[in-house]
Amino acid sequence: MALTAHAEQLQSLPAEVPARKGRTKLSASARREERTGFALIAPAIAVVAVFILFPLGFCVYISLTNWPLVGPYHFIGLANYSALAHNSTFVQSVLFTLKYTAIVTLPILVIGYLLALFVRGNRFGATLFRTCIFLPFIVGITTLSFLAEVELQPGFGSANVVLSKLHILSRDTVWVQNSTLALIAISVLVVWMASGLTMMLLMAGMQGISDELYESAGVDGASWWEKERFVTIPLLRRSIALSLIISVVGSFLAFNQFYIITDGGPGTSTVSVVMEIYETFNTAMRVGGASAMAVVLIVVVGIITFVQFKVLRGEDV
Amino acid sequence: MSSSTAALGAPPRRRRSGGSLYFTAGILISAVFVLPLAWEVLRSFQPASAIISPPSLKSFSHLGVSNYRQLLTGQDDILRNVVNSLIVAIATSLLTSIVATLAGYGFGRFRFRGSGIAFAVVLVGFMVPFQAVLTPLFLELHYLHLLNSLIGLALFYTAFNLPFGVYVMRNTFLQVPRELVDAAKVDGASTMSTLTRVLRAIVMPGIATTFLYAFLFAWTEFLGALTFVTNGATYTLPVALSNVETNTYGSVNYGYLVAGAVIAMIPCIIVYVALQRYYVRGLVSGAVKG
Repeated sequence: MALTAHAEQLQSLPAEVPARKGRTKLSASARREERTGFALIAPAIAVVAVFILFPLGFCVYISLTNWPLVGPYHFIGLANYSALAHNSTFVQSVLFTLKYTAIVTLPILVIGYLLALFVRGNRFGATLFRTCIFLPFIVGITTLSFLAEVELQPGFGSANVVLSKLHILSRDTVWVQNSTLALIAISVLVVWMASGLTMMLLMAGMQGISDELYESAGVDGASWWEKERFVTIPLLRRSIALSLIISVVGSFLAFNQFYIITDGGPGTSTVSVVMEIYETFNTAMRVGGASAMAVVLIVVVGIITFVQFKVLRGEDV
Repeated sequence: MSSSTAALGAPPRRRRSGGSLYFTAGILISAVFVLPLAWEVLRSFQPASAIISPPSLKSFSHLGVSNYRQLLTGQDDILRNVVNSLIVAIATSLLTSIVATLAGYGFGRFRFRGSGIAFAVVLVGFMVPFQAVLTPLFLELHYLHLLNSLIGLALFYTAFNLPFGVYVMRNTFLQVPRELVDAAKVDGASTMSTLTRVLRAIVMPGIATTFLYAFLFAWTEFLGALTFVTNGATYTLPVALSNVETNTYGSVNYGYLVAGAVIAMIPCIIVYVALQRYYVRGLVSGAVKG
């Protein structure tokens, strides 16, 4: 999922358009500029239209039919959508994804914030520490999930060995046979991976705050905590909103870690929404049902993104 | 830092001990994030039999490259999948950079009717999570004969990296001084030679940012590759590793899995460390892949 912060620039663009809409004749050079500009953007628009916009429309279309993989189809209205409410695995996957999101969001923000405080200055080593802390995010959740899969094995996994030495768990614990333990393991992995991203986003925001504000707060006798409370946090509101939305959207769209580490188990207790869509299409081959779920997901993610635009564009609340 | 502290008249001795305290804390915090990765690199040199026995000092006495050798030459033939991943990642990042640069040039430097609508189209692309449209895309790629195809995969990755790339490149071109473009025009430079000669150096950081994000995305992407590629010879590395993990031949070879994951990890780290200031540029511009 991608997000953007420069919303104010978007508003300035359409303003130019109405002025040129009149039927006034364009000069030859203006016409040439029109043609060249259009030719330059055409490939990008074509690729986005074919591989994003068309599938988006197609998704809505399919979701209104009983689309089979082979043979004719017909429209069934909103039947796929009303079926979702009675689809217990889908409802379970939604509840599980919400629970997972609720668990990881706050730790990612708090740890990311503390790390950003630590690396924001120009102190000796800060650049190196930033790079180190950000590495798990760069390696990516897919590779990390394969490694976690090994280290969570009963008997020889490093996590099992270390936790049994600390007398917390038995060395033979099978994490993926217990939905609570599986969720804990994956949450720890994700918080460890994603805190670095929040750190980078908040650090960039912190570095944009003028030193003069801190200096004048210092002149007024503000303590370190008061400077954080009354200067940093209020001015960081947009960066905090941005990093929260990125992490929430990321959690809503989680798939890899669950597919690789738990395969949705035990039973279907750790199936995320995206995994449920994947299974509905790939295993059950219910194309219409999978598309209806996808439309719901797109709407939910769209609402979060829209709220983000609002927050980023709006004045401080 | 040191100069400003000195200006404030802090005692030099306290400053030094504060600095070393900070550095020590930083090393400890960094270790939390780096040591697990380093541990896995070390593990990948253990023979498969040592990996599945509880870690002890003795289990590190016979380190070697047997996992890598078997993984790259054995029946699993991961080498082919590594090459597939490289082809897709390089094709995606080149294609994304070129198309996004052209579009950024168009949006940032040319006035034309419909540019507002066209840019809105790109922004809609921003908001569509690729995870949600895999079902219709599967049917579309099937119709276009682009399933089980590295080209199909690269086109799919390019499309979902373009909105970010176009956005970055548009902002890059908007920052180019007007006079520079005008001067080139007066000198009689064509649109393309203005781009390739006059503007190249100025827009290179934007291109590096676009390239880096697209490369990392394509190299690590899993769900799309899992959905669109069902033929072992076309698997990318992550999909091949998920097959090692759910081995159909019987027990899982954890040595392969760790070594394969380390292979997947290395290019990300090298590319990121070499180009990290461009990565941070992307973050600061306010757009992020997650």
